[in-house]
Amino acid sequence: MFKKNPLRKRQHTGSLIGIIVTIIIYCILPLKPAEDLLSLGPMNTGHEGLSCNACHTDAKGNLVQQIQSNIAYAVGMRKKATDFGTENVDTKKCLECHDRPNDRHPTHRFLEPRFKEAIASINATQCETCHREHNGTRVVLKNANFCMNCHYDLEVKNDPIDTPHATLIANKQWSTCLQCHDFHGNHIYEVADRLKDTIPLQQIHAYLKGGLDPFSSKKKHLPLSEEEWIALKKDYIDVQK
Amino acid sequence: MTITKHKSILLFILLSILILLAACGGVPEENTSTQASDKVFAVADVLTLVAKENDITRTLYTKGIVGAGKKQGLKFDEDWQDDDVEAGPLPALFLRGISSDIRKSSTPLGLYLGSDFPINASNKFQGKQASLFEKIKATKRPQHFYEEDQKMYTSMFADLAVAAPCVNCHNDHKNTTKTDWKLGDVMGATTWQYPSDSLSYKEAIDVIKAYRNGTKAIYTAYLEEISNFKVDSTKPAIGNKWPSKGFYLPTAEVFIDSVRKLTSYESLEKILLADNTSSKETTTTSDLAAN
Repeated sequence: MFKKNPLRKRQHTGSLIGIIVTIIIYCILPLKPAEDLLSLGPMNTGHEGLSCNACHTDAKGNLVQQIQSNIAYAVGMRKKATDFGTENVDTKKCLECHDRPNDRHPTHRFLEPRFKEAIASINATQCETCHREHNGTRVVLKNANFCMNCHYDLEVKNDPIDTPHATLIANKQWSTCLQCHDFHGNHIYEVADRLKDTIPLQQIHAYLKGGLDPFSSKKKHLPLSEEEWIALKKDYIDVQK
Repeated sequence: MTITKHKSILLFILLSILILLAACGGVPEENTSTQASDKVFAVADVLTLVAKENDITRTLYTKGIVGAGKKQGLKFDEDWQDDDVEAGPLPALFLRGISSDIRKSSTPLGLYLGSDFPINASNKFQGKQASLFEKIKATKRPQHFYEEDQKMYTSMFADLAVAAPCVNCHNDHKNTTKTDWKLGDVMGATTWQYPSDSLSYKEAIDVIKAYRNGTKAIYTAYLEEISNFKVDSTKPAIGNKWPSKGFYLPTAEVFIDSVRKLTSYESLEKILLADNTSSKETTTTSDLAAN
């Protein structure tokens, strides 16, 4: 009755190839060696070798539940949207490994209203403002002059350095701050009292871009390794049970 | 006929998807159990309650640990966590430690300390906090306002010079910006923030818990720092006794227990009186309007 279109066979072959390729991709991509292919860019210094799901943890619920929740949110039947696939990687997640009791500039400190104007210039309440992942670096900021946003009116009594802070500030030499002070205050080192003995700016820039640490190899607190983080999480889940 | 058949198939697929989606149920929404009717506390009342706990805790730490401890030879320093400094946290840093620990909890409570004459310039009030602090200095009354940009209900409370160590340390500090502090002065203010205008019993209790856990965390961190002191003779005996009795420090449990004894009665009474919130909410609303 009907004459078969001669192109139908090609369609079938094409579909079959498509299905096979999809299955292969579906099986291969979740494997550990394929993580580099999926990564948006090189991991930041210190994060090399981390598994994707160390940061991109599974979102709550299964995919169908997540779709339903987000549709419900879109039509106003739910107060909050839900993460789809994996959880959003935010400051809280970074702090699971990087939280330190001696952090000189913890992110939460900048939530106070008095830092409102500074935050408008540089949002220090979020780790990713400076440390955006998949850039193969430490800090993504172009300039190392961010201290000026809060310390523009700094006055140091009994100034210990040969070129006083007042002079450095008057000359707007904001990139010199990091030559003495590590931002998070975690390195153990002696601060120079002569400007010429401080860490050269080039070394600071190289460090921010992911190079050698010029402050010190000694640190007061080390971040959790992936294994330590997994163990801690497991303990937490066991306690919850 | 073909068109009708296609329509039926399409309808079938659509219905299947809808049923599948609806049948699974969504991801449970957090805090869905907290109905508006459960919100029995005005945020300003809860922040007032926890600020009172903070006053008592810090006074106990300042007088009982710092003041008495210094007489026994204990040292307290702003760089107390540095490896080459063998000291404990000054009261302002004790509060900073509590604040940091609260942030680690799931309770969305913010706590900050500032002044118009701080030792560390980064603690100087600016903008709205600075103008409200002038009011606090004049009246010693708390100021409540809604921080529009952050969408945070905010309360500021006077931080008074309650003990001699507050006055002496600030007057004598090498970086002080004011040298004539005296007992009873408003030396600064604590700022507290919470994201909703009212709280349930559970949320109010979570706020108190987060604060008390913070106290325990920073005090424990101090004791850990002592355990790393290089010379044994500089380590006080840690047990049931306080520095007023000699070269001792109370354990974290003993310290927290003392805080509990001093604060719990008043906190519990305030929680139990939560039913009278309607009049309190009126006060809060007028306070917010004034600011």
